[in-house]
Amino acid sequence: MDFEWSDDQRAFADQLRAFLAANLPENWEELAGHGPASAEITELSKRFCAALAREGLLFPHWPVEYGGQGLGPWEQQILAEEMWVAGEPRGGQYMNVNWIGPTLLKYGSEEQRAKYLPPITEGRALWCQGFSEPDAGSDLASLRTRATRDGDVYRVNGQKIWTSYAGLADTCFLLTRTSDDRKRGITILLVPMDTPGITVRQIPSLIGEGDIHEVFFDDVVVPVEARLGEEGQAWEIIAYSLRNERLGIPRFRLARAALDRAVAMLKERRAFAREAVRTEAARCAAACEAARIASYAIVQKRVDGLPIGGESSSARYATVMAERTVADFVVEYVPEALADASPYLKMHHQRGIVAGIAAGAAEIQLNIIASEVLELPREPR
Amino acid sequence: MDLSLSDDQRQILEAIDGLSKPFASVPLHDTSFALSSDALDAELGEGGFLDVMAMEELGPVTAALVVERLARLPFAVEAGASALVRPLLDPELPRPVCLVEEGPMQQPVRFLRPGTTVVVVSDDVRSFTAEAEHVAGLGSEVLFAYPMARLIGLPPTMRTHEVDAGTVRMHWRIALAAEAAGLLAAALASTVTYVSERKQFGRPLATFQALRHRLAEAQVLTNGCYWLALKAAGTLDPGDAALAALHAQDAAKRVTYDFHQFLGGMGMTLEHPLHLWTYRLKALTAELGGRGEQALAAAEAHWS
Repeated sequence: MDFEWSDDQRAFADQLRAFLAANLPENWEELAGHGPASAEITELSKRFCAALAREGLLFPHWPVEYGGQGLGPWEQQILAEEMWVAGEPRGGQYMNVNWIGPTLLKYGSEEQRAKYLPPITEGRALWCQGFSEPDAGSDLASLRTRATRDGDVYRVNGQKIWTSYAGLADTCFLLTRTSDDRKRGITILLVPMDTPGITVRQIPSLIGEGDIHEVFFDDVVVPVEARLGEEGQAWEIIAYSLRNERLGIPRFRLARAALDRAVAMLKERRAFAREAVRTEAARCAAACEAARIASYAIVQKRVDGLPIGGESSSARYATVMAERTVADFVVEYVPEALADASPYLKMHHQRGIVAGIAAGAAEIQLNIIASEVLELPREPR
Repeated sequence: MDLSLSDDQRQILEAIDGLSKPFASVPLHDTSFALSSDALDAELGEGGFLDVMAMEELGPVTAALVVERLARLPFAVEAGASALVRPLLDPELPRPVCLVEEGPMQQPVRFLRPGTTVVVVSDDVRSFTAEAEHVAGLGSEVLFAYPMARLIGLPPTMRTHEVDAGTVRMHWRIALAAEAAGLLAAALASTVTYVSERKQFGRPLATFQALRHRLAEAQVLTNGCYWLALKAAGTLDPGDAALAALHAQDAAKRVTYDFHQFLGGMGMTLEHPLHLWTYRLKALTAELGGRGEQALAAAEAHWS
C-alpha cells in the first residue's frame, strides 16, 4: 500500500492549482459565496470551463477517442477535489463532464451527440436534472411526470421539484413516466428548457442563490428524437450514469480546508490554546480523514476494476458526517466567520445541509449499507 | 496512491486465518470473561507473524493488518505491542510485551504477568522483565476482557532503549487503532449475525430500521477506523497516528452499548461472546490517556 500521491499525481494537482490561480478572478471567494447555481457563478463557469477545455482539463478522464486523455480514477478524483476545494468554479458543469457527457456517449443517438456534446466539451452547457418530484424523492421510482406519445412527439405533463440549476439551465435531463411499470415505465427525455409549456419557479433556499426550483411541465411537446435510449430504459441508463458518481462530491476536502481556516482564525485571536477547542478540532480532522480514506478505498476498487457495491455508500455517509462535524465546529467556535468575515466558510456552512439530502439521502445510504455491506435480511415492504 | 493488499499481505492474512481457525469461534455457554490461549500465542510467535514490521517488503502496514486480523478472534492475543512497538526497541524482547506510560502505579495493564516484558514510556523508553513483586492481580470481579494485572512497582534499574519516545507513542497509537478496528469488526459481525437470526414480532430484529441504521453507522465507523489505522501505519506520521487512535477510541464509545442493546437479554449474558470484543474495546479507550489525549496530540501535530 502507498498512501502518498505519486509524482505524476502531484504534478497533475499542481497543474490544476496553477490553472485555478491564473484563471479565477480576484474577488472569486466573494463570488463563490453566492453559491454554485447563482447567476454570478453560472456566468463565470462558462468562461472558466471554456478555459479548462482549452487546457485539456475539462474532461481529461474521458476516453481518448472522445477527446479526453483517458486519465484514470485517481486523476478524476484529484480533479474533483481540486475544483471542489477551490469553491467549484465549474458551477453546475461538473455534472456534464462527470456523468451527462459519458451517458450521452454511451446511449445518445448520433444527432443527440452532435447537438449536446460540443457545448459540454467547450464548457458552455448547463444542464439540470429533472428527477425529484413532490411525491418522488428518495422513492424516485414512484415519479409521475407523464410523457404521452402522440405521433412523432411526446406530450409531457407534471412537476419536478428541488431541481438544481433549473433557473439558468439550457437543457433538462428529464425522467418521465411512459407506462405504469414502476421502474421499467420510466423514460429519459432531453428537453431544452426554453420549450413552451415549461415554467420554472425558484424556491427560496438555505443553500445559496438560485439553487433549487420547481419545474412545471404543461403539455410540453417534445419530439421523439429527444428520447435518450428506448422507452422504459431510464432505470438502466441512470444506473450506468451514476456508476462513476457513486462517491458523490469530495466534500471532505472542502470540510478539511474549512476546518484549517477556522483554526487559523482561532489562532489569530489566540483562542486555539483551549483544550476543548483543540479536542473538537481534532475530532473534525479525524472525521474528514476517515471520509477521505474510505472514499479512496472505493477509487482503488475502480482502479482495480472491481465491482463497487454498498461500500461506496459507507464512504458517502462518512463524508456527510465530516461535513456536518466541521460545520458545527465553525458555528460553535468561529461564529464570526459566518457573519461577513469569510465567504468561504459561509459557503461551507450552507452546503453542510445539502450533504445528507442531495443525490441520495443519508438514510438511503444507511439502507444500502445495511442490505449490501452488512447483508442484513431485507425490511418488509 | 495504492490501497490494494499486496500478494504477500494477502497470503499472510490467509495463513493467519488458517492457523487461527481452531480459535475462531467459542462454543456458546462456554465463554469465560477474558479468553486467551497460550497455544495460539505460541503459534503466532513461532510463525513469525509478529515480526513482519522489520521486513522491508512487508513493513508497518502489514504489521497493522496482522494486528487487526488477530483482534477479530475471540481469544485475546498480545499482538499490537509485539508487532508494532517491539521492533523499534529490540526484536528479541520476550513476549508478551506490555506498554505503560510512566505515572501513578496500580493501573491495570493488559497481558501483564510475571515474565512479561514491560516497556515504560515517558520522556525516554525503558524496559524490564516483570517479577512477581511488580505485579498484583485485579481481584475476582474483572471488568476487562483481556488478561490484565496491576503494575505495582518498577525495578530500581531498567534497560534504556535508544529510541525516541514520540516514535514509540506513535507506533503504540497505530497498534491501538489497528487492534480496535479488528475488535469493532468482530463485534459488529457478531451482532449482525445475532439480529439476523433472532425473531421478534414474527420477523428478524435486523429488519427493523431502528437497528439497521445504527448498525450501518457502526459499519461506517468501523471502516473508517480500519483505513485510518492502515494509513497511519503507511505514512508513519504522528498526526495520522493520533487521528487513527482518536477515531478508534471514539468509535469504541459510540458502538459498544448499541451492540449489547441489540442483543437484548442475550446482551447481558456471558453466554454470548460479544463481550469479549466490546469489553476489550472499553479497555482500549483507557489506553494512552484516553481520547482527549489523542485529540490533543492530533491537534498538536496538525496545527502547531
